Amino acid sequence: MLNFLIRRLGASALVLFAATYFMYLLTAYSGDPLEDLRTSTARNKAELIQHRIDIMQLNVPPYLRYFLWLGGVLKVFIGQIDLGKNINGQDVVSLLASAMGTTLQLVTMATLLAILLGVITGISTALRQYSAFDYTVTFASFLFFSLPVFWVAVLLKQYLAIGFNDFLAAPSIPLWLIIVLPIVSVVIWVGIVGGDKRRKLIVASISFGATLASMLILNLTNWFASPSLGPIVGGLLGVSLALFTTMVSTGLANKRARNAALVTVGIGLVLWYPFQLISMQLTGILVALLAVLTGVVGYFVGWFMGGEDKGPVARTAMISAILMGGIIAVDRFMQAWKPYFESNYISGRPFATVGASTPNLLGSFWVLGVDQFTHILLPTMALMLIGFAGYTRYSRASLLEVMNQDFIRTARAKGLNERTVVMRHAFRNAMIPLTTLVAFDFAGIIGGAVITERVFGWSGMGSLFVTSLAHVDVNPVMGFFIVTGTTAVIFNLVADLVYSLLDPRIRVS
Amino acid sequence: MKFKRFAAVVATVATSALVLTGCAGGAKDVVAGSSITVGWNQGFYSANGATSNGNATANNNILYLANSGFNHYNDKQELVKDTQFGSYQLVSKDPLTVKYTVNSGVTWSDGAAVDAADMLLAWAANSCNFNNVSPEYDADGNVSNQAALDAGVFFDSVNCGSDTSLVTKTPEISDGGRSITLVYDKPVVDWELDFAIGVSAAVTVQHAFPNDKLDAAAAKAKLIKAIQEKDNATLAPIAKFWSTGYDFENMPTDKTLVTSNGAYVISDLVKDQYVTLTARKEYAWGPSPKIEKITVRTIPDPLTAVQALQNGEVAAISPQATADILTALNAIASKGIKTLSTSDATYEHIDLVMNNGGPFDPKTYGGDADKAKAVRQAFLKTIPRSEIVDKLIKPINPNAAVDNSQTILPGAPGYDAMAKANGSDAYASVDIAGAKALLATAGVSSVKVKFLFGCANTRRQNEYALIQASAAQAGFDVVNSCSDTWGSDLGSGVYDASVFGWQSTSTAVSASKATFASDGGNNFTGYANATVDADYNALSTEFDSAKQLALLTDVEKQLWSDAYGVTVFQFPGVTAYDGKKISGIVPAPLAPMFFWNFWDWKQEGAIVKG
Repeated sequence: MLNFLIRRLGASALVLFAATYFMYLLTAYSGDPLEDLRTSTARNKAELIQHRIDIMQLNVPPYLRYFLWLGGVLKVFIGQIDLGKNINGQDVVSLLASAMGTTLQLVTMATLLAILLGVITGISTALRQYSAFDYTVTFASFLFFSLPVFWVAVLLKQYLAIGFNDFLAAPSIPLWLIIVLPIVSVVIWVGIVGGDKRRKLIVASISFGATLASMLILNLTNWFASPSLGPIVGGLLGVSLALFTTMVSTGLANKRARNAALVTVGIGLVLWYPFQLISMQLTGILVALLAVLTGVVGYFVGWFMGGEDKGPVARTAMISAILMGGIIAVDRFMQAWKPYFESNYISGRPFATVGASTPNLLGSFWVLGVDQFTHILLPTMALMLIGFAGYTRYSRASLLEVMNQDFIRTARAKGLNERTVVMRHAFRNAMIPLTTLVAFDFAGIIGGAVITERVFGWSGMGSLFVTSLAHVDVNPVMGFFIVTGTTAVIFNLVADLVYSLLDPRIRVS
Repeated sequence: MKFKRFAAVVATVATSALVLTGCAGGAKDVVAGSSITVGWNQGFYSANGATSNGNATANNNILYLANSGFNHYNDKQELVKDTQFGSYQLVSKDPLTVKYTVNSGVTWSDGAAVDAADMLLAWAANSCNFNNVSPEYDADGNVSNQAALDAGVFFDSVNCGSDTSLVTKTPEISDGGRSITLVYDKPVVDWELDFAIGVSAAVTVQHAFPNDKLDAAAAKAKLIKAIQEKDNATLAPIAKFWSTGYDFENMPTDKTLVTSNGAYVISDLVKDQYVTLTARKEYAWGPSPKIEKITVRTIPDPLTAVQALQNGEVAAISPQATADILTALNAIASKGIKTLSTSDATYEHIDLVMNNGGPFDPKTYGGDADKAKAVRQAFLKTIPRSEIVDKLIKPINPNAAVDNSQTILPGAPGYDAMAKANGSDAYASVDIAGAKALLATAGVSSVKVKFLFGCANTRRQNEYALIQASAAQAGFDVVNSCSDTWGSDLGSGVYDASVFGWQSTSTAVSASKATFASDGGNNFTGYANATVDADYNALSTEFDSAKQLALLTDVEKQLWSDAYGVTVFQFPGVTAYDGKKISGIVPAPLAPMFFWNFWDWKQEGAIVKG
């Protein structure tokens, strides 16, 4: 194991060295860093050019300049890493730090959501292989996969930001959507649930009716102008989520788990109004603590109600407690919507096309949270579409492969119900190949999203890279490369180790 | 209803900033509670725009809102004096002596008066005459002789080597500390463009000596004494702080760093996101602004800026102009977006090289200068200037016209007279027959012209194609010699003709000297004309603007009749704003671009008051 690690790290160092050298040369020879000054008519042009030659050491040829740069990087071993300065004399290390912060903020959520939704969709299509639903999702994921992100981003801004903001000026769902959306929901739900004709008919009528009714209610109550859930809708949502959690986690036959989950929803409802009273005083940290507390309470509820089957019941209760907490939080955010929407800084156009936040906006945790949401929604969607498509395909293929293996047949043969076969035996094994993909994606997070960042005006790693490259500014480009290259190498290694941990058939050395 | 009550509380908090500012009054015409957001393509990063690091449009636009000056450019490229802030007068032409006076009552935002100490610091820093050590850099651009640098004086000014450097004698202070008198070692005709106050002297000194706890008066006295006595030990930390102390990308905890002497003061700054300026209550030494808070958001991508404008996130933008951007802007004209197509201060020109043994060099014809000139004239006659403007520039700027002057930008004072008198009309339209005749008279046939431009530049690729097709009709073989390192190839003689743009940053009459004088630093063509050199020498001591124009006209007559080259067009620019939100936006070609008349900006539509 140690031997393997040392060998891998040594090889990685060599790869990084060669890669940085090539990258340095390619960047340095990619253009003329003095171009803007050469066409200047400033009267002290000679001094300006000399100054830039001095600060960028342009009189040393790039193939030698690299080693001077490498000297600064190697100071990392004495704790004073020096990645140099950019063309404006700003320190590259601090530029990287702030760019990384922005990038993590932007990309983490998109990556997590892409994994979560991609895996869920992939699994549901695998379980309904060759159904209309499966074909539709396959078509959609290939479509998403092949869409150019800059185009998707611009379209999202045009229709979901600008268009939806226009809609919010007089928010009433147009008739054609009231007709089309229920039909779409019928197609989706019938596809997912499947079954015989009678079951399909029931599912179709329920989903059609529910969608139509909720759209009409949204319209009648003018919901978009001041959205909220309220304890009744919130409670209903909580109950259905609790039942769903129980179904996936232990199966509805487990009465203790079902009851425990419902009790957590009840506790949530009891605390609904008291929470409103304290909500104005909450800060981000307090909300996070509250979320943890919710999970702990849910766990104990399950523990006490669990009887002889404590573990799974506690797990189920904890998940549904957190979901119920989420519903309460979403409702609270919705209450902040109206003042946010009407504030002078927003003036009725909440969905943003640019930047990470509204300048100068002050307010409670909830108002600022809504502001974050309106800014991060579109870039997250743009980034998600692509990752989502990949995860859908991989998890579908992986689950199908596992489902055809002998141990699944054995599991079925010994009389396990379908839920246990799928969730406990097939799903877990199907996820093993995905770890590699997840590891690579997390390494990619740090690299940022060059195009998405630029189109949405976020100044993360991607924009740092592009802007610096455009000015033939080698130091920040190399800083970017060092960070992304190193994380790629490290996560590659981590993927190998995790793989061997998850699959006992694989040995690392 | 509990929800409503909570909603009301949230609303109150969300708009608390407005409530607070609404209660506070502003300078006389400032509308309480008014705010406007505009876009710019780069974020603010230094409050001292005179340092070599801080000198960028992104900083200087913001500093223009924050600081007053002795003069500014308007949209017609005229230099307007700001007499309410201060005055300057030419005391003597020989030696050139100029006296700058700040009016009494002009204050920094920390309450200290703007006075001679601030001007003295500006002189000491920007003349670079006190610098007794220069930095050495390692490969990463870090200073490698920091210790020596700390001990010595080094003002890292972007203006080193400019006209202020010619003031070597320490300026005298007069008028009770409100005036200084600069005496130049030799005449400088563009002296008026050269001197500006940057950062506060008191703040700089206070930060250079944080342990001394100096008040403003003591700090100023310390600075004046140090400069007058050339006390390098005291000046060293001052120079260091002046050079680097004002660099920050987020709002500094120490608010004294944003001390300003103009209409606004920086009140919030988030790196690469936005900078917000709030109107100063005490500001009364210039036209009063109408908007209380101006926020400048950073939006690097042009199309992103257009969509942000459409979505109401910014009220005015000036993105890089392309045909696509103009199409996008025109598409939203019905939503109240006004688009103004303009011309930037960069102009495209075609130069012919006369010292490389090529077709335009007399040496090629055994020193026959007339023959070389005939070939040059013939080539210039084939250049389809109107066609280039019509096909490549008009789609972006419908108002574009052919540029007819080598020394004055179209629209600037004196341009029309210049274009009429300089002889540029000889190349007003393509004259293939005339070109053929000139070549025939010269006895030259099948001329090969190596044409240099940047390969990555699509517009110049297209220009080349148009020129190549037109010149071929007269017998010129224009060879594509595009290069990715065209900037460093300039002046190397590996090409015969080149096309690129000169960026103007001022209307300095002497700026063109570097290009056309035989020993000029920007003379890449080997052009040498005794009359032009004599004219520039005369110009360097000529302070009368009419006579300056006459001399420049004479220079241009020589240039055009010598077939030096042709100017083609000004780079197109575009400024767009949301007419429902803001009025008073007027684009200007020279810095600070559309910010120049911020006092005319008015917020349109409802203003929420506290």
